[in-house]
Amino acid sequence: MKILIVEDEQLLLHSILDYLKGEGNVCESASDFNSALNKINLYSYDCILLDLGLPGGEGLEILTKIKALKKGDGVLIISARHALDDKLAGLDLGADDYLVKPFHLSELKARLTAIVRRKNFNGNNIVVFNEISIHQSSMFVSVNDNKLTLTKKEFNLLIYFLANKNKVVSKNAIAEHLWGDEMDMSDDFDFIYTHVKNLRKKLLEAGSKDYLHSVYGVGYKFSQQ
Amino acid sequence: MRLTSNYNKVNIFTSFVILILTGIIYYVFIHAILTDKLDRDLGVEENEIRQYTATYQKLPLPAGFLDQQVAYKEIEGEDVERTFAYTNYFNSKESEEEPGRSLVTSVKLGSKIFRVTITKSRLESEDLVRIILLITLATTLVLLASLLLINRFFFKRIWKPFYTILEQIKSFEVSKTQKIEIEPTRIDEFIELNTSVNAMAERVKQDYRELKSFTDNASHEMMTPLAVINSKLDSLLQTENFTQQQSAYIGDIYYATGKLSRLHRSLLLLSKIENNLISDRQLINMQELINGKIRQFEELFKKNNLKVNANIGSLELNMSKFLADILLNNLFSNAVRHNIDGGEIDVFLDQENLRISNTGKDINIDGMLFERFSKSVESEGMGLGLAITKQICNLYNFNIKHNYLNGRHVFSIKFNGGS
Repeated sequence: MKILIVEDEQLLLHSILDYLKGEGNVCESASDFNSALNKINLYSYDCILLDLGLPGGEGLEILTKIKALKKGDGVLIISARHALDDKLAGLDLGADDYLVKPFHLSELKARLTAIVRRKNFNGNNIVVFNEISIHQSSMFVSVNDNKLTLTKKEFNLLIYFLANKNKVVSKNAIAEHLWGDEMDMSDDFDFIYTHVKNLRKKLLEAGSKDYLHSVYGVGYKFSQQ
Repeated sequence: MRLTSNYNKVNIFTSFVILILTGIIYYVFIHAILTDKLDRDLGVEENEIRQYTATYQKLPLPAGFLDQQVAYKEIEGEDVERTFAYTNYFNSKESEEEPGRSLVTSVKLGSKIFRVTITKSRLESEDLVRIILLITLATTLVLLASLLLINRFFFKRIWKPFYTILEQIKSFEVSKTQKIEIEPTRIDEFIELNTSVNAMAERVKQDYRELKSFTDNASHEMMTPLAVINSKLDSLLQTENFTQQQSAYIGDIYYATGKLSRLHRSLLLLSKIENNLISDRQLINMQELINGKIRQFEELFKKNNLKVNANIGSLELNMSKFLADILLNNLFSNAVRHNIDGGEIDVFLDQENLRISNTGKDINIDGMLFERFSKSVESEGMGLGLAITKQICNLYNFNIKHNYLNGRHVFSIKFNGGS
């Protein structure tokens, strides 16, 4: 994936760059309005992470420019402004998704992956990880052609893990992803434990290898080893 | 007690007492003066009788007196003491009983002593006193009546600017932009009051605006470092090879940052609702939304072995989808969080009301329930959920109430015919 990160907070920018690099991802960054505009004019990206509060100009203007160029880059807005109006305006202008700061890097990666997949395959693609294949649109999962019956939460969890494979995903991030922050139940990790346990059991029973590892009780990692 | 009625009470009471006292003093003095005059007249008659007797050596005929009656009686021995007295006598001219003043004295005629009683009518002086008394009384009544009338109409008009401004102070809201309108008046105190109140309102609003923009900016600025902490924490987690203790610390930091960002979002949301900045109003199918919520919370219900009884009628409300969602989230989270193991949750919706009740222990924060950061000791929440709920209800003019009845917490929202 080729990704442009438009973010003026250097510390955050570096974290995002670190997290996204690897797996053949190419990440570029811009820290102000003009350099962001330059890059958008010159290159095409699979997805652009766009911070709305930029020095030198209004982030929504960049979004307008991107859409005017009609290049089909995916746009994920990341903003500290939790204003519903901003969100609606962003989505109206053609942003694909909107993420409010502070966010978990794993959430960012999951959203990013989802946007790119939607763009490239219109959502009808099949995600394959070794013996596991997932049909996104039909919510169909199979291991070595053995069909798996997953609940909606387990399915979401699997997609989330695959988008963040080889990364440690914290329980907090999973909780927020599955229940959203509005429910205010994100401190309750018993559910996550249950869901992860069930997902793992179903995968193992269907004949997959054990990819899901608990990491120090803080989170989980979906990886080969 | 109102200022005017307080003032009136004193005023009327004093006027009344003074007027009554004046009346009494009038009565006493005039009575004394008139009696004195009568006595002098009687004295003059007495002298005339004495001179007549001395000159003619006989008593004057009783019929010879015009305005007074005279009677003689021969007495033995000593002189009678000269005395004045009030009497009632029969006035033969008017042929009726009349009040009178009489002088009893004695006259010597030769060796005989006669007792002389001279009686003069008091009728005229009594009439005079009565008229004076009546006039005094009438003046008192007229004065009282006019005082009352003045209070009723004049004071009301004079105090009108005061009450107008009082009403406005009562309905003054610091977050609203409305100004305090002043009633034109010529009274210095009220003009001063108007200017002072306006100046004060302006100052308070200015302070509020500054405080609000400070809070907004502060919370906005807080977001970025918080985002950095969060992302660094995620990055830190990728480095692996932690000891058990280190990972426990990381877990704690995650917990705290998570709480901080939720707190922050809640506060921002509160200020947005208060300032009516949420504008995605639309028709919301409450029945659908509530049923969806019940499904969404199903796991939580199961975990706490809660039984949900739902009786959900159809209702459409014109409100923000976003806020409707939060409203229900908060009420449901609350019903779960403050429930007992194996308890119940009842959800009821009709055209007018939404009622969500749950079994639970009584908590002693009645009256503080909807306040920010007020929560029971055991609560794990932040204490903002119900404050937000209340704000949402205020925004749409819904009435929300909490009762604790038969071991159940009941939250009822009355929609007041939609919004």
